[in-house]
Amino acid sequence: MHTVEIEHVSKTFGTHVAVNDLCLSVPQGSTYGFIGPNGSGKTTTLRMIMRIYHPDAGSGAIRVLGETGASAANDRVGYLPEERGLYKKMKVRDVLRFYAELKGRRDHKQAVAAWLERFELSAWANKKVETLSKGMAQKVQFISAVIAEPDLVILDEPFTGLDPVNADVLREAVLEQRRRGATVIFSTHDMAVAEKMCDYVFMIYKGKKVLDGTLDSIKDQYKQDIIRVQVDGNGFDPHALPGVEQVNDFGRMQELRVGSKADTQEVLKALMGQGRVRHFEITRPSLHDIFIRIARPSAEATPDA
Amino acid sequence: MRKMIVIAVREYSAAVKTKAFIISLLAVPIISGGMIGVQFFLKDKVDTKERRFAVLDYSGTIYDAVEEALRQRNATDIFEGEGEARKQTKPRFSVVRIDPATVDAERATYELSERVRDDDFMAFVIIGADVLSPGEDGQGGGVVRYHSNSPTYEDIQQWLRTPIGDRVRQLRLAAADLDPKIVEAATRRVPVQNLGLVALDEEGRITKAEKTNRIANRLVPFALMMLMVMVIMVGAQPLMLSVLEEKTQRIAEVLLGSVPPFQLMLGKLVGMVGVSLTLTTVYLVAAYIGIHQAGFGEFFPTSLVWWFVLFQALAVLMFGSLFAAVGAAVSDQKEAQNLLMPVMVLIMLPMAVWINVVNEPNSTMALTLSLFPPATPMLMMIRQAVPPGIPVWQPLLGAGLMLLTTVVFVFAAGRVFRLGILMQGKGASFGTLLRWVWRG
Repeated sequence: MHTVEIEHVSKTFGTHVAVNDLCLSVPQGSTYGFIGPNGSGKTTTLRMIMRIYHPDAGSGAIRVLGETGASAANDRVGYLPEERGLYKKMKVRDVLRFYAELKGRRDHKQAVAAWLERFELSAWANKKVETLSKGMAQKVQFISAVIAEPDLVILDEPFTGLDPVNADVLREAVLEQRRRGATVIFSTHDMAVAEKMCDYVFMIYKGKKVLDGTLDSIKDQYKQDIIRVQVDGNGFDPHALPGVEQVNDFGRMQELRVGSKADTQEVLKALMGQGRVRHFEITRPSLHDIFIRIARPSAEATPDA
Repeated sequence: MRKMIVIAVREYSAAVKTKAFIISLLAVPIISGGMIGVQFFLKDKVDTKERRFAVLDYSGTIYDAVEEALRQRNATDIFEGEGEARKQTKPRFSVVRIDPATVDAERATYELSERVRDDDFMAFVIIGADVLSPGEDGQGGGVVRYHSNSPTYEDIQQWLRTPIGDRVRQLRLAAADLDPKIVEAATRRVPVQNLGLVALDEEGRITKAEKTNRIANRLVPFALMMLMVMVIMVGAQPLMLSVLEEKTQRIAEVLLGSVPPFQLMLGKLVGMVGVSLTLTTVYLVAAYIGIHQAGFGEFFPTSLVWWFVLFQALAVLMFGSLFAAVGAAVSDQKEAQNLLMPVMVLIMLPMAVWINVVNEPNSTMALTLSLFPPATPMLMMIRQAVPPGIPVWQPLLGAGLMLLTTVVFVFAAGRVFRLGILMQGKGASFGTLLRWVWRG
């Protein structure tokens, strides 16, 4: 059962192809992280899932919660836009009640109070939105997205602009949405957050999907193990080891990049023949490494991307 | 439907809390009340300082009549009220006689001017020796010259006309050996009274025609038109600003995740109708009380109130949808002002022709103009407010045409709204708007 299914969808603005032939399936109850450099198509994809944007004519369909409607209005979907979407002149409590009623939730009084309490915003309930700091406004915006307990929560850059304490509070609130059974899709620049929170990671680059799957499967896909070694002995020659393609020599420690088919056990065996092995560590690339590896070379070549 | 109401309620409460609304709610009562108050206050504060002027009468036949009229005026005309309430409300006039024998005819005007500059008196009158001559064929004849250094103060000059004129006429009649009484009776003008139509009362008797009131007959239509224009502006401006805010603050993205765009726009329009009805209610109730307090209750257009409310609700929807579309199509207020120009012209149009419509409410031109839907709420109102009114099919037809126009406008605005509200960056041009309306 998939909450969101995107089939061969493209979106063009003028001549700029923002999203190119994208396929994506978001399983129900999962937490899906959207990553990618600025301007790569994350927000466009999220807005298409929201049905704020519609895919190009002739390209595929987007099914959200089993439906392929044209209207963005869906009480089962909650949305936190990239930029703030709050009435500046309204009081915090009023704006939240308004959004709750708009989503068809009538018994919102308790829920609004509970959320304000939880985010330490109770003292601001009767203040106007324009008096809030950026971080506080972000929390209010998050409450407005989840106040009606939607089945699908779409968060565009929810952690941007938050200090570490508030980021933790918000992360816990996001995880709670998932425990409640909701499907959560969020975009982020923070690879560490994506790596820690997401069941699935989707990376879009220049409008094309470049990564999609569970973290483990992605890391398997980009498996190019790095072995960190420290060896005592004069016979040590890392270039002579089997399967080693590249050596980064840090002096006291060497980083060996081995081919994906190489057997690390053979490398260790050969090393032991060269000298006394003091340190042998097989590391896997972090999401950050993978992101950089995909995005760096051409991101510099095309600054407008 | 429920969501539309949620939107409407928010729109209403946001609009009535703005300073602009409160100011416009209070502005007219405060300004008009203030003006009445100032006039009331100033009534007792008129300058009753004595005004002196000089008369140089070369004919020697007029001065005595002026002095006699002046004595009468100072004794009675400058006072108002009776008994203890009697008080002076106009300044006394006093006159200085200049003997023609004492002045040099060549330099008289200059010397008297100098005395005005020295504040001896504030004006002087020179009556020529030939004042009684009527001239020939309306040409020539005697002239009375009034000189002063305060050309805007006309009370003395205007007052002088009567005693001088009367005296000259009396002398001329006497010279022609005519009886002034007969001449006066023969030349008296016949008044033409301005009356309404008569009808039969319940017992079949012909009712007395009511005297019509020229001022009220124009003031009531004018007030109704101005109220209509103001209510549209006061409601439409905040509506456009709130659409613009929702667009630029990206609130629209969140709203459209909950309500379809057309419902969102309709909700906002309904909120605006509520705002304008609030304003109308306050004004009409205030006007009703004010007019009755002032003793002019008969002029309050009670029978037109429901027409006014109907036309106003339609006008608000019709113009409001245009304002909402403009708010959605632009990216800042400056662009909005440009796009609003044609809309404003439509709203202001009736003000350019209202006087013609009041003077001839049943002319073909007045009928045609008042059936032009954007002008209907103002001009049909005017035509209804001028006695005796117009056949009821005309406002009905006007309302029907307006309803059609409103549906078309709301539909077209809905298309612009849907596309514009999510569009960022530079605002849409007029041509783009038409394309949006056409293609949807």
